[in-house]
Amino acid sequence: MKTRILENFTVVFAWLAGLVLLSGVSLLLGYLFFKGHASLNLSLIFGDTPPLQALLLKQRVFEGLFPAVAGTFVLVVLSIAWAIPFGIATGIYLAEYAGPRVKRVLDALFDVLSGMPSIVIGLFGFSFAVFLHKHYSDRIGPCLLISSIALSFLVLPYIIRTTQAALEGIPLNIRLTALALGATRLQNIFLVLIPRSVSGIMSGIILAIGRCAEDTAVIMLTGAVASAGLPRSLFSQYEALPFFIYYISSQYADSEELMQGYGASIVLLFLCALLFVTAYGIRKGLSHFVFYRP
Amino acid sequence: MKKIGELVAERTFLLSALASSSITVAILAFMVFMGLPLMKQAGFYQLLVKPWAPYQGSFGIYPMIVGTGCISFLSLVVAFPLSLGCSFLIATIAPKPVSKGLRRLIELMTGIPTVIYGFVGIFLLVPYIRELFRSGSGLCVLTAALVLGIMITPTMTLFFCDSFDRIPRSYLTAAEALGASRTQKLLYVILPCAKKGMLNGVILALGRAVGDTLVALMLAGNSVRVPGSVLEPARTLTAHIALVIAADYESPEFRSIFACGVVLYLFTMMVTFLVRYLSFAEGRRD
Amino acid sequence: MRRITFIQPVLIVSILLAACLPAFSGSLDSFQGEKGELKISGGTAHIPVMKEAARRIMMANPEIQISIAGGGSGVGIKQVGEGLVDIGNSGRKATDEEIGRYQLKLFQWAIDGVGPVVNPENPVKALTKDQMKDIFAGKVNNWKMLGGEDREINIYTRDEASGTRAVFWKKGLDKGAITSFAHVVVSNGAMKSAIAQDPYGIGYVSVGHIDTTVAPVALDGVVPTIETVQDGAYKIARGLYSNTRGEPVGLTKKFIDFLYSPDGKKIIESKGFIPVR
Repeated sequence: MKTRILENFTVVFAWLAGLVLLSGVSLLLGYLFFKGHASLNLSLIFGDTPPLQALLLKQRVFEGLFPAVAGTFVLVVLSIAWAIPFGIATGIYLAEYAGPRVKRVLDALFDVLSGMPSIVIGLFGFSFAVFLHKHYSDRIGPCLLISSIALSFLVLPYIIRTTQAALEGIPLNIRLTALALGATRLQNIFLVLIPRSVSGIMSGIILAIGRCAEDTAVIMLTGAVASAGLPRSLFSQYEALPFFIYYISSQYADSEELMQGYGASIVLLFLCALLFVTAYGIRKGLSHFVFYRP
Repeated sequence: MKKIGELVAERTFLLSALASSSITVAILAFMVFMGLPLMKQAGFYQLLVKPWAPYQGSFGIYPMIVGTGCISFLSLVVAFPLSLGCSFLIATIAPKPVSKGLRRLIELMTGIPTVIYGFVGIFLLVPYIRELFRSGSGLCVLTAALVLGIMITPTMTLFFCDSFDRIPRSYLTAAEALGASRTQKLLYVILPCAKKGMLNGVILALGRAVGDTLVALMLAGNSVRVPGSVLEPARTLTAHIALVIAADYESPEFRSIFACGVVLYLFTMMVTFLVRYLSFAEGRRD
Repeated sequence: MRRITFIQPVLIVSILLAACLPAFSGSLDSFQGEKGELKISGGTAHIPVMKEAARRIMMANPEIQISIAGGGSGVGIKQVGEGLVDIGNSGRKATDEEIGRYQLKLFQWAIDGVGPVVNPENPVKALTKDQMKDIFAGKVNNWKMLGGEDREINIYTRDEASGTRAVFWKKGLDKGAITSFAHVVVSNGAMKSAIAQDPYGIGYVSVGHIDTTVAPVALDGVVPTIETVQDGAYKIARGLYSNTRGEPVGLTKKFIDFLYSPDGKKIIESKGFIPVR
């Protein structure tokens, strides 16, 4: 009898938990859309400037989100550009070359890196920038370059992990065919193994892009500012969407700015959802494995 | 004899692996190096147990450690039952299509940006909590923990589901053959087998909760006092870094955030090694 | 809303001037032919003025890029001293030690005050100085004790780098204690929106920032407004400074000159401050 109660209770409890989570998240999203849908139009992004003129960089945008969107875009491209070569090369090394002992040490180091709070990486980036400023060049301070490098540290483990997992998942018969036909190890990697794991690597990259676009803690320490316009060089400060949302949430001047904050949140949310669905489309069953490989 | 190209490639891979892994070491080295003057002067242990009162010359981070502890522990209290229930639903209780859809949805939820949780939290939850309890400002430990709890639930749920998935099929078939219902299978076969894997999930989710900056910074009120109740404001280590980063680079305030950095780093390391240890233990058992 | 409606005509006129009649754009003339980047950080009370000035300059001359960050007065002084930014703003006068260490040049371009504020719904709109000191020290912790609702007082303060905090603490609280229970926010803007959202909160903010979303609290019978600051009736006054390391040159100098120009003064006034001279 007692066990019956336990079983029934479990069922009720499970449905209840599912309901609470779903209603929590739909409340969150519903509220955002309910409040912010009115702000969704082209002038949210471009202000009073004609969109084409802004996109061609002919006119500056002052009222809209364009500088923040552009800042986030440039930031993501740069960080991913730093992270991809190192991430993939390291993934290849771990999967194909490393001996068991080396692998264990490196695995542990990357696990630590992937669990690192982003603010710690931001702090590292910031103090590194100050260090460079003092000892090398006056031009370097918190800036786009520093932010993108710090962000690439943050997402490096994602790319390493997905590359490694994709390569290790290739069955032995495929692994050996080319070798048996006389291919060198390197040829085997680049002509057989990598092409077969492209989808896995891509999903890792897309997740990394999502993480770069979303992260606030790193950039608020390393060079994102309230107002900057479009970034002009690697050494300039810049605006970014998540930082803009954070900034508006605490110091909106009037209801119009607040509406912009809602609009920016929806834009960012769509952006991340899009990236996530893309990654998902490329390869199923992902994500949390990349966060921390259990 | 190896071709020169092969050798160069291997070296390149090795070098990039070394470079990437050295980041982990470099971050710790930098934190310690920057924080050392203050840690030497005040003693690392002293920093951990003293209050934060810069005008009185005390730069301890004790209130932030307690704040971090309270908020993340409470968020686990919120997230654990939710994750447990959701993973039950996905594993056995819900019918197949529902469970599949739910899993997709929860995977998608892990992609919601943190700053959006904070943003909605400020305008939706804070006033609600303030009026519900008629005490304080609504910027408090409870608000931050609730939002953080919802935020880490998807991750935790997915870890639970994974550890359920790793249970050998044969166990389940055996239980079915004995006439166990779906719920019985869950309670008496899956759950006991997956305990260690679930512990992993909890620890990793705790790591995420401790490492999160934005939610606490936006919702916890950031006062520098050890919170006396869940309705009082508090400051986390991560928020402390974000708030003090702006101080003078030579000042002890600035140095003290590296002590926070070191504490967070050590915590991350602890989490990682604990999880690795547990995973190895689980691997051996199979 | 008030701000927007005020700015729009000014904006349209300035756009027209910038677009059609560059010769008549007056104070902005000096930026002709300049290009490059200007980094500004520090005092958060300054941000609205900085943003508007930067927007005008960037509109008149697309070759100029001006970035504006907050952080607080302490940050402004340190960052300009270290050479991380070109102009470091502060809402307090830099100390002699700071001036000496970094060879700072100070430019005070506005007078401002720091006033205690509460939510407009709060019936308590006047306090004595002693009452205020007790509130911030945590001794008076319920609005009922001051004639308001029976609710806890939520105290909001600023971080240690804040010049607003330094001024308020010195002149408003006579260097009295600020309880560690206080919520900490990072800018004048954040203080304003925090108080605007919390019906039981009290904080302090740059007088220029006070608008309809928050209610100023009369201190010993004097309401902090820009007029009472100007005629000296309200005592917690301060200057707004822009600091540079050494004599400013080039774009930095032109930017600071712009703040003192007639157009600059108009911006300063429109943002609620009193331009110097």
